[in-house]
Amino acid sequence: MISEKELKSVIEQVLEELGMASEKNKLNNSQDLASQKDEESQVSDEGLLDITEVDLKKQVLVPDPENLEGLLKIKETTPARIGVWRAGPRYKTETLLRFRADHAVAMDAVFTDVSEELLSEMDLFSIQTMCNNKDEYLTRPDLGRKFGEEALQVVKNSCVKNPQVQIYVSDGLSSTAIDANIRDILPAIMQGLEGYGVKAGTPFFVKYGRVPAMDVISETTGAEVTCVLIGERPGLATGESMSAYMAYKATVNMPEARRTVVSNIHKGGTAAVEAGAHIAHVLKQMLDKKASGLDLKM
Amino acid sequence: MRESILSVGIDIGTSTTQLIFSRIILENKASGASVPRIQIVGKEIIYRSRIYFTPLLSQSEIDTDGVMRIIKQEYKSAGLLPEEIGTGAVIITGETARKENAAQLLQKLSGFAGDFVVATAGPDLEAILAGKGAGAEQISKDKNCTVMNLDIGGGTTNIAVFNNGEVIDTTCLDIGGRLIRFNRHTGKTDYVSPKIKKLADEMELNIGSDRKAEITHLKTITRRMSAILEEAVGLREKTPEFRMILTTRELRRNYSVDFVTFSGGVADYIYDKNEYDLFRYGDIGILLAQAVKESRLMTMFTITKPLETLNATVVGAGSYSMEISGSTITFTQDVFPLKNIPIIKMTPSEEQLDGGSFVGKIREKVRWFYLDDKSVQLVAIAIKGIENPTFLRVRQIAERIISGMEVITQQHPLLIVVVEHDMAKVLGQTLYRLLEYKKEVVCIDDIKVDNGDYIDIGKPLANNRVVPVVVKTLVFNS
Repeated sequence: MISEKELKSVIEQVLEELGMASEKNKLNNSQDLASQKDEESQVSDEGLLDITEVDLKKQVLVPDPENLEGLLKIKETTPARIGVWRAGPRYKTETLLRFRADHAVAMDAVFTDVSEELLSEMDLFSIQTMCNNKDEYLTRPDLGRKFGEEALQVVKNSCVKNPQVQIYVSDGLSSTAIDANIRDILPAIMQGLEGYGVKAGTPFFVKYGRVPAMDVISETTGAEVTCVLIGERPGLATGESMSAYMAYKATVNMPEARRTVVSNIHKGGTAAVEAGAHIAHVLKQMLDKKASGLDLKM
Repeated sequence: MRESILSVGIDIGTSTTQLIFSRIILENKASGASVPRIQIVGKEIIYRSRIYFTPLLSQSEIDTDGVMRIIKQEYKSAGLLPEEIGTGAVIITGETARKENAAQLLQKLSGFAGDFVVATAGPDLEAILAGKGAGAEQISKDKNCTVMNLDIGGGTTNIAVFNNGEVIDTTCLDIGGRLIRFNRHTGKTDYVSPKIKKLADEMELNIGSDRKAEITHLKTITRRMSAILEEAVGLREKTPEFRMILTTRELRRNYSVDFVTFSGGVADYIYDKNEYDLFRYGDIGILLAQAVKESRLMTMFTITKPLETLNATVVGAGSYSMEISGSTITFTQDVFPLKNIPIIKMTPSEEQLDGGSFVGKIREKVRWFYLDDKSVQLVAIAIKGIENPTFLRVRQIAERIISGMEVITQQHPLLIVVVEHDMAKVLGQTLYRLLEYKKEVVCIDDIKVDNGDYIDIGKPLANNRVVPVVVKTLVFNS
């Protein structure tokens, strides 16, 4: 990512090249103004509304709608930005700001890390794929599904061998999703499995993980069924959506069709606790029918 | 993946008896990558019986064998066996329900009709089913408005009000087209219902058995009956006679009505403009229809014609008595069908209470169902629940329910919980664990019930994902 300083020098360079050196001073001035403004806004920040807090499904910007109830009924069925009205041919300022704010939420979901506190609270030890940082994770999907020998040794040393079900957690493309859901979904799955009389292995956390990393984990732990709880690529509706990918005896390079997925786990989709109970049920079915993905008829 | 279930509706009314069979189609509407969401996607009537006059042994006794013969014959004509029928409802409406041997008939029927065919529990539910069967519910949903359906049959008028697809009010009155009947040959009055007789006497009208009634008197009495309907819906000051004719709670009327629909046998003559032989059915049905046609009901409300008129009740019983639970539920054992389980409903404010008080409230309500000093009836507890609960909150709710329902689980091997919000699977699993896997748990969601309701829960459908549920509403009665 380009830092602010770099950005400034790039703009300066462009301006100079355009023979607009005089603009340079202006730019500096406006920068000062901006920082001044920052100070001001820090004072008044308390009163500002976080626009991402507004429930889009209930927000109608159409002035004096013909049938408000009808519009709200349609809006209730979708997180899409409908009934937002316009200013001439463009969005209203509020809509535009909200769009950019939601985009920022999505960016944050990708670029933050799952907090150490959460991992220790959930008692999850942590390993890392062959990616060394977020940029590498984003640009090298192949590395996000591989592990170094050392990381796998940690798994071998710390985990119960050949469990019926191996569950692990991975940041994927949204650490926010893990932050939002894991406290509720993990105990729900574990409780459900206990009720079904299924023995689960030792859960842990994988940093910079892609979905197929589960195949390596499956081979390493010798689990009958492997399940990864992973952050979904965030969209403009939510940055908190998580998926569970599950497979019966997953192996590296197996067909994708052998994975079963439960997606859309977030507070606007399926609640984490209820999804957890459902996932436990699906895992039980996989063990009973010795199949997953398209092979599993449910 | 589609799946269908066959449903029967049997309506044994004051004057007529009918059957329909319908196919109810279930489908998972969620994408393969989501938690399943099984919904009823279609209802199709596959067979309608003839309309029979209800066989009676006397004015107060149903000919149960006669009714059974009709029903058996119609199953045969439809080419269906009772075992193939997955659900449905039997309604014994109007005056007939007060006949002496209705209970005996129901018993015979429930043995024959199918495993999960339920007997309905009173006029409020019948009003709701008639309104749904007529299509009033659908109109209210499609047009996002309030629709009142008046099902005017032979013996009773059942009124149900729907707002945006939800029932909001019901009532029932002893107003019907066959409350006065004539001998077709002599023209003499054969029968006058006791309440109508009283009404006529108060108005000093000469209407009684074995006399020939004058048409002006009959017109006066049907106008009065129609006026009582006006009283019921708030278009006229209530008179003392209204109380006598009313059989349940009166309408709340805390809403405004956009449309009024009529169903039932009398309805066809309200919508039809043709002139007929007024006594072609040997009763006051057509006269009553004319009186309604000239009433304030027609001028003060916007009238619309529903999809079904004469068949509304039987279609309601056949196609609308069953709903299905949410698609992520818990049942630890196939204990179905469960029938006539009373509900204790916790109000939203009670659900906000702290642990001890909430448990106390449950215990208080459980006490209503003690059969004697010691033994208690099996009841289900219903809560609204929370939309996005944390795991800790789920466990807290489960602990409180178990504590409140302790007496039930001590005496019965089963705990039944009905939730509105989508949380039944996790709540059920939590209850099961907290009960140390020693009691069976049935926990279903996406079902709205209230105090005074009874529910029937049928065998699981769609690969054990959902259960069919019939909610027998008595709520508007209380």
